[in-house]
Amino acid sequence: MANIAAKRIKREFKEVMKSEEVAGGSIKLELINDSWTELQGEIAGPPDTPYEGGTFLLEIKVPETYPFNPPKIRFMTKIWHPNVSSVTGAICLDILKDQWAAALTLRTVLLSIQALLSAAEPNDPQDAVVAKQYREDIRLFNLTASHWTNVYAGGPTVIWEFNQKVQVLIDMGIDEDQARVALSTFEWEIERATEHLFS
Amino acid sequence: MGFEIKRFQGDVDEELICPICSGVLEDPLQAPACEHAFCRACITEWISRQPTCPVDRQAVTASQLRPVPRILRNLLSRLCTSCDNAPHGCNAVLKLDSLASHLVECEYNPKRPMPCEAGCGLVIPKDELAEHNCVRELRALIATHQGKLNDYEQELAEQRLVINEHKRELALLKEFMRAMRLSNPSMRALADQMEREEVVRWANSLSRARVTRWGGMISTPDDVLQMMIKRSLSESGCPPHIIDDLMENCHERRWPPGLSSLETRQNNRRLYEKYVCKRVPGKQAVLVLHCDNTHVDEHMMVEPGLVMIFAHGIE
Repeated sequence: MANIAAKRIKREFKEVMKSEEVAGGSIKLELINDSWTELQGEIAGPPDTPYEGGTFLLEIKVPETYPFNPPKIRFMTKIWHPNVSSVTGAICLDILKDQWAAALTLRTVLLSIQALLSAAEPNDPQDAVVAKQYREDIRLFNLTASHWTNVYAGGPTVIWEFNQKVQVLIDMGIDEDQARVALSTFEWEIERATEHLFS
Repeated sequence: MGFEIKRFQGDVDEELICPICSGVLEDPLQAPACEHAFCRACITEWISRQPTCPVDRQAVTASQLRPVPRILRNLLSRLCTSCDNAPHGCNAVLKLDSLASHLVECEYNPKRPMPCEAGCGLVIPKDELAEHNCVRELRALIATHQGKLNDYEQELAEQRLVINEHKRELALLKEFMRAMRLSNPSMRALADQMEREEVVRWANSLSRARVTRWGGMISTPDDVLQMMIKRSLSESGCPPHIIDDLMENCHERRWPPGLSSLETRQNNRRLYEKYVCKRVPGKQAVLVLHCDNTHVDEHMMVEPGLVMIFAHGIE
């Protein structure tokens, strides 16, 4: 790995470790290998959002050309959010793409992703299905996002109705994650979800 | 790319750190409006990808970057750093501005060029000196030279081949021209005309010469002298169809009746001044060309002209 990238990442790692966010438990950072090319980030769901109380893991890959190119970051924890793919975890955030600037650091990037959870951008979506629900039925969106946070990120809000509906589909022999995606996509209407799954 | 921050004594102010490489600023430049400073190498690399300030994304182009203010340069130059060769045993602690001059002469530099003292005369990096073997190095040198020599020889052989081909083609062309000349009278006239014009053109390109001592004339030049003059004629652009005839005419045995012996030469001395002489470039010799000297008596002139070589006295 290029010297400059390793040097930067070492310094940024220390910066994150010393930061008040780590002290307050809102972000975390861990090394995955010794070559400073892969890290795992962790952000807490921001308060007053459906993600509150959840813990979201992020996969961080540092390219050879860092910091001239942005780090590659995706959600490893499944999340229901207009700017994150509910399938792959890919994030749509300008600073991870064309608005990257070399002076940005892992800390500022993690904080930006956390901020994205509080302020979705439904007009620049990564997941069109989620974005549509966000625009058309914000109440249902918030419930679905809370439910996902509860199931995948350890959030506290249990939504019994959704759990039961997922269980109905599981009993039909459908994979749990598939069932949840289908129900979330079709406004939690079992008939439409099954119709889609079996078509 | 900046200096490793660990090399510096004490804390380094955040303002002196490059936001790109996170090292201490090296040869810094700053953006014009926002005045954010970066290492020259770092910001140049960034701007080649994206013409913005890496801190605040204001538009910046490479030509707009300027040197940082003196105060920043002074703060940087006052920082105390260890030498690049500290891992090799150098304990020097230097002001940043004297690091460069120290590095040039730092005796711990593993790459410092050292002359081999065993006598082979090669200059080698210090860290390779212990492993250095004069015979092996010189052998390698010989091998590379031998390789080059072989390449040159091969090239020479190829060039010879090309030259031979050209010679053959030239001979064929000459033969062809000769045949044309013989078979077609108008062609012969045309060719003669062209040859005459070529001689005149060449004669006009030469500068006039004045002979101050006609007595210095060498009437029986030896082969070496003749060869030297011939080469000079050829280099001056002498048309090839007359060069051999001209050179034949540099010896008194081929000179016209008025010049053919010491006696006739003495009798005709006063006629010499009528000659229009041209300088053979760089040589103590003159050309008396027929085309320049149509006014001279017939017994003093031959075709296509005379070459007169002198011991001295040509201006």
